[in-house]
Amino acid sequence: MKYLPLVWASIMRKPTRAVLTLLSVMLAFTLFGLTIGMNATFAKFQEDAREDRMFVFARFGGLVPIALGRQIESMPGVEVVASSSFVPGYIHEPKNRVFVQMMDEKVAKVNPEYPITPAQWQLIRNNRQGMLVSKSQADRWHLKAGDTLTIASPSAKKLDGSTSWTFKVAAVTPDMSIFGQGYMFGNYDYMDKARLLSDQGKTGQFRVKVRDASKTVEISQQIESRFANSSTPLQSLTEKVAFDVSTNTGMDIAAVDRDVALAGMFMVLFLTANGLAQAVRERFAEFATLKTIGFSDNGVIALVFAEAAIPCVLGAALGIGLAAIVSNVIPRFLPPGQGLPIPTMSVMVFVWAALSAALVAFISAALPALRLKQMDIATALSGR
Amino acid sequence: MLRQIWIVSALNFKSLKSRFWQSMVIVVGLAATIGVMLSMLSVAAGMRQAYYASGDPNRAIVVTKGVEQEGQSTIARAQAPLIAVAPGIAKDKDGKPLADRTLMTGVPLLRKDGSKGFTSMRGLSEKGPGVRPELKIVAGRMFQSGKRELIAGVGAQALFQHMQIGDKVILPDGEWPIVGIYETRSQLDGQLLGDTETLLTTLHKPAYTTMLVRLASPDSLDTFKKAMTTNPALSVDVVRHSDWYKRVGDQTTFALALLGYVVGTVMAIGALFGCLNTMYSAVASRGREIATLRALGYGALPVAVSVVLEAMLLSVVGALIGAGIAWALYDGKLDLFGNVVFHLSVSPRQIELGVTWAVVVALLGGLFPSIRAARRPVVEALRAT
Repeated sequence: MKYLPLVWASIMRKPTRAVLTLLSVMLAFTLFGLTIGMNATFAKFQEDAREDRMFVFARFGGLVPIALGRQIESMPGVEVVASSSFVPGYIHEPKNRVFVQMMDEKVAKVNPEYPITPAQWQLIRNNRQGMLVSKSQADRWHLKAGDTLTIASPSAKKLDGSTSWTFKVAAVTPDMSIFGQGYMFGNYDYMDKARLLSDQGKTGQFRVKVRDASKTVEISQQIESRFANSSTPLQSLTEKVAFDVSTNTGMDIAAVDRDVALAGMFMVLFLTANGLAQAVRERFAEFATLKTIGFSDNGVIALVFAEAAIPCVLGAALGIGLAAIVSNVIPRFLPPGQGLPIPTMSVMVFVWAALSAALVAFISAALPALRLKQMDIATALSGR
Repeated sequence: MLRQIWIVSALNFKSLKSRFWQSMVIVVGLAATIGVMLSMLSVAAGMRQAYYASGDPNRAIVVTKGVEQEGQSTIARAQAPLIAVAPGIAKDKDGKPLADRTLMTGVPLLRKDGSKGFTSMRGLSEKGPGVRPELKIVAGRMFQSGKRELIAGVGAQALFQHMQIGDKVILPDGEWPIVGIYETRSQLDGQLLGDTETLLTTLHKPAYTTMLVRLASPDSLDTFKKAMTTNPALSVDVVRHSDWYKRVGDQTTFALALLGYVVGTVMAIGALFGCLNTMYSAVASRGREIATLRALGYGALPVAVSVVLEAMLLSVVGALIGAGIAWALYDGKLDLFGNVVFHLSVSPRQIELGVTWAVVVALLGGLFPSIRAARRPVVEALRAT
């Protein structure tokens, strides 16, 4: 600790260089935080996905008769089947896209982890047009309990020929990580009764909960084969698979994130290593002096490592901080209701960032440290 | 003046060797920035290209009024004949209108690596091939109307399992054989095609998805549109097919492209700081050299310009290396995003974009050091060690 002022003085010898290096490192770690944070979000989705649940929907698109849900519910091992459909639409202008998930009364049983109280669920049961709006969506559209909201939905036609859906905000409920930009939940019955006759009694998907998590895959196959030759063949996705980003995008996004983070690290590694090599070269004679007055080889080397570590660790901390701020700001600029994931600054992100910063500092300092270890004091002092 | 700039710059470039590693900071910084940005953009660009290639100014698509995605549109069976007789549609050799009743639905398939994937299955009616002349059968034969047969696109064949001629696709009423492989050089290549009416019955769909018509000439869109919008029996939108896919392509790739640019910007700013750092050191280490030149009568401006030029040379080299790596790794590679099969693309236009970014970084990163170099008093610089 007592050598800190010495290290600090070395760094501040060239303030411009120090500041520029720090900023560069900070930005690389901002990127690191955003990409690895995104991977942390994906990992959280996987962790939160329950083994005992699956989604079931029409294999070839379109709606599924609700009656099939009752058939699935009577299959051995199935505990409960809920239905949800959605109204995609917009508020006032097409660019204000929203997405209302219309839930039946069993969703609360299938998804007990939703931060919605039984009383709040009851509010949208009591009033068909009731809607539960998450905090972030409520803020975005300036909604509070009791407000009325009209959503235009060209693809969800109503029986009366109109395409506008009116909701009444019943309660504002907490956000949850699985819905990055918030959510809107309506009552399935409202949708079902208001729809074209040909669409009534049908739903977009079933949420199936089984009794024994180890049977999920088996039951999923049974459901698919049971309805394979029916008029509505079904497709099932277990929650683990459905919440896997590569299933939805067909790309290994996590690997892309890692590559981007790596490219950023490579860039700063080059920068810090060069900066440090240069600084050591410039002050070679001074290091020789330190050795002359009694600093050990290791002591001098430790000074160099400290000089490398300070901008790396400080930059990493600032960068991750900036990434955290950016992650909080991004959702406000994204079209809502599309379920785009938002980076999370989990503990793992901090751990990886700290490790990377340490590694960058270590590699940057290694070569100059080696040179200092092998230095010939007399030659160095003479300035040759 | 120009001669002075030339001489000073030449001198700079000659001394680059002695500042090799330092200069590499700029090269590596820009290579990483542009490499990452163009790699990320290759997805958005490739996807957009696939969408753009799917449209044709000579075609018009008829969809449910107000919908923005094909999948959300429904055209009732009874409406199809009303649309087909409208003016403005090109006629086939047999005198019948080139109007195709299409059907689109998702179909789950297994990817080559065994994971679950999705693509679209489309129904084409008898005039489908006439409406889409770009559709070429490259192996096997076309499906026959009325028969339970499918043809697969070249992209679908490359990415999914069991897509060879003779393989079977399971549909509700049994297995449908794949009888041919087609190519369109558009987004359609990642899909499966079959006969609309047969698919409609098999899948128990109540209605068609869209109508796609070939226009008599690109100018007949207005005639056709007017006929559609004034018919009280119809509630549809008519969009030129190329415009439709342009919008869909832009909309679908917007977030992806934005992501590429955001990452590119963050990295570019990081690279900019690196560039500033290097150029400040370069100017400092060449202080005496510059002062000597100034003492010999060279102006401040040529010295400043030469610093910016050096930054620019290094940046552009870096950007080209990065672009080259992105191009070698990704350009032309077949990929899948969501249910869209496309070729990743690092086009000359994007490489140009990368180089432009590099030039901007170099201008900003060279400017302040160049000012410092030009303004430093000659005497002071000559005395400095």
